[in-house]
Amino acid sequence: MERERKMKKYMMSAAACALLALASQSASAQTAMATPGKAVSMVLLPKFLGILPFDQAHKGAEEAAAELKNPTALQFLGPTPQNSVAGQIEIVTNAATQGIQALMVSDNAGDQLAPAAKAAQAKGAKVVTWDSPIPSANGEDVFVAQVDFNDIGKVMADMALGLAGADGGKFAVLSASPDASNQNAWIAAMKIALKDAKYSKISLVDVVYGNDESEKSYTQAQALVDKYPDLKVIMAPTTVGIVAAAKAMQDEKLCDKVKVSGLGLPSEMLAYSKNGCAPQFALWSFVDLGYLAYYTSYMLATDQMKAADGVKFKAGRMGEYTITKDPTRPDTKGLRILMGPFTIYTKDNVEAAAK
Amino acid sequence: MSLPALLKRWEALLFLVLIVVVAANIAESRYFLSVGNFVNMFQLSIEKCIVALTMTLVIIGGDIDLSVASVMGMAACVMAYLFHLGAPLPLAILAALGAGILAGLNNAFWIAYVGLPSLAVTLAGLIGYRGIARILIEDRAVGGFPLWFNTLGQQALVGPLTLAILIFVVLFIVFAFVLHGSAFGRLVYVVGSNVQAARYSGVRVGLVKTAVFVGSSAVAALAGILYAARLGSVRGDTADGFELDIITTVLLGGVSIFGGKGNLVGVGLSLLVILSLRNGMGLADITGNTQNYVIGGLLILSVLIPNMSQDLRNKWKGREK
Repeated sequence: MERERKMKKYMMSAAACALLALASQSASAQTAMATPGKAVSMVLLPKFLGILPFDQAHKGAEEAAAELKNPTALQFLGPTPQNSVAGQIEIVTNAATQGIQALMVSDNAGDQLAPAAKAAQAKGAKVVTWDSPIPSANGEDVFVAQVDFNDIGKVMADMALGLAGADGGKFAVLSASPDASNQNAWIAAMKIALKDAKYSKISLVDVVYGNDESEKSYTQAQALVDKYPDLKVIMAPTTVGIVAAAKAMQDEKLCDKVKVSGLGLPSEMLAYSKNGCAPQFALWSFVDLGYLAYYTSYMLATDQMKAADGVKFKAGRMGEYTITKDPTRPDTKGLRILMGPFTIYTKDNVEAAAK
Repeated sequence: MSLPALLKRWEALLFLVLIVVVAANIAESRYFLSVGNFVNMFQLSIEKCIVALTMTLVIIGGDIDLSVASVMGMAACVMAYLFHLGAPLPLAILAALGAGILAGLNNAFWIAYVGLPSLAVTLAGLIGYRGIARILIEDRAVGGFPLWFNTLGQQALVGPLTLAILIFVVLFIVFAFVLHGSAFGRLVYVVGSNVQAARYSGVRVGLVKTAVFVGSSAVAALAGILYAARLGSVRGDTADGFELDIITTVLLGGVSIFGGKGNLVGVGLSLLVILSLRNGMGLADITGNTQNYVIGGLLILSVLIPNMSQDLRNKWKGREK
């Protein structure tokens, strides 16, 4: 009897030791794994509704939701492009009222979204930005970045240099809205890249904004070629802007003189890529971005990981990621998960990607 | 007033609509009935609510002011511009209010003394004042205001109420008194129903219109500053397009676009209907274009119903004879 009790004691303490060891191990550099099946109310909030990349991100998020067997349905809510700032603030505020546990936002309101996002955090929600962060990082737990913002700047500078031809020349940027923090960061990164002597033959003459509205982007592209008759390249780091600019150049029959480039969706750019109006552009997968944002938010909201520098986690089919300090926002306490990679599309690979 | 006569009143109809909307919201969302949600509901549109008060006076006076949203944007941009030039923020705010008053005087000069239609003058203002806003701030977002300014715009001041909500309540009471309890208010109605008759009976029409338009722009400038404080930053397109929301709210409140008819109670009810409808749809996860369809549909009905019922009544009378 006595021996048996002692034996039991030993075994229990041994088991406890083993458990402790396991726990301490997972607290250090262990990769956090997602436990599926937890009910988490989540909202995916794009800049606005009605354009393809955000629908693709939604598709990716739904894929992750199915994989993680979250019994609470994902809400895909967004404002109209004309009402994007006020609309995003309204949706974040209402989500906080509803006690939503995780908000995934592509911020189109700059720091104007910060007060509402902070209020949501105060009510217990995790705020994960994707595609476009809150510049000050106030009200944001972590930002899921598509590719390194400095890389985007370099890639855009390289494409501009290549398309301007041997003599170089003038080029201009057609961006989204003046408050879109991702586009602003990319343009800033491109300006830094341009300082390199390698790019001395090309000069950035203007940055204009089409607000991600087709019509406004179209007229802004026309205005650019009117203002700079010797313009060589229009660089549009937005999927709406690049299509509008390519169409404008095609309609004006200027495709031989002015090349359009930037960030575009293969399916939308197929024709312009083939007819030479936009011979080269780049992008990453928005489906993957939505998927990764969902995994991140799910694991944060269920306390399966913390938003802190150095935390590693496994995001389903996409593999392992690490949360780090955001080097593109050095003055803030912003954290970042870097997705990558980049694809450059030309007439040779655009068709396969468009399917 | 007898019950049927009371029911025929526009405000009674609005009140019924309000009850339906509120009941639907309560049934639809358990989050609707909470102090926090009510504060949010007002706070999210509070600047438009404030400007709707002065717009009521303008429209009752037989005019329209399309320039209010541009004045909001201009005032916010003047403030942000001066602040970033190094002016102390209180001074920049005063200058922004001053810019609002100047805009109002400009509108009033062309309308009241040159005699141009307010539609044309304030349409020019809509473009011109927005132009000034864009020239000052260009395509940037300007923020970095002192903490006290952002706190006033974003945090509750008294109980759960923010400064902007308190200002709205005070202005509502003030304008209710001005419009319905003062000699000036009666003059606004007189000018709005028949400007010729008003002139012949010795009303100083120019002075009344000047007061109304300066008031409209000054309050719009104040609302623009409150909007900047709520969002914490200013852009050239701040408050862009707000004028249509504001005017439609006033019209839904039963104020006649032809002037001389309407009251603040109706406008207050109309604000409540639109805000609770938006809020309820937001809580039911209906956003974007669907919201616009529903509110647009409501506004079309609000124009159709009174006109059609008048038509029907006239036909009925014709048959009786």
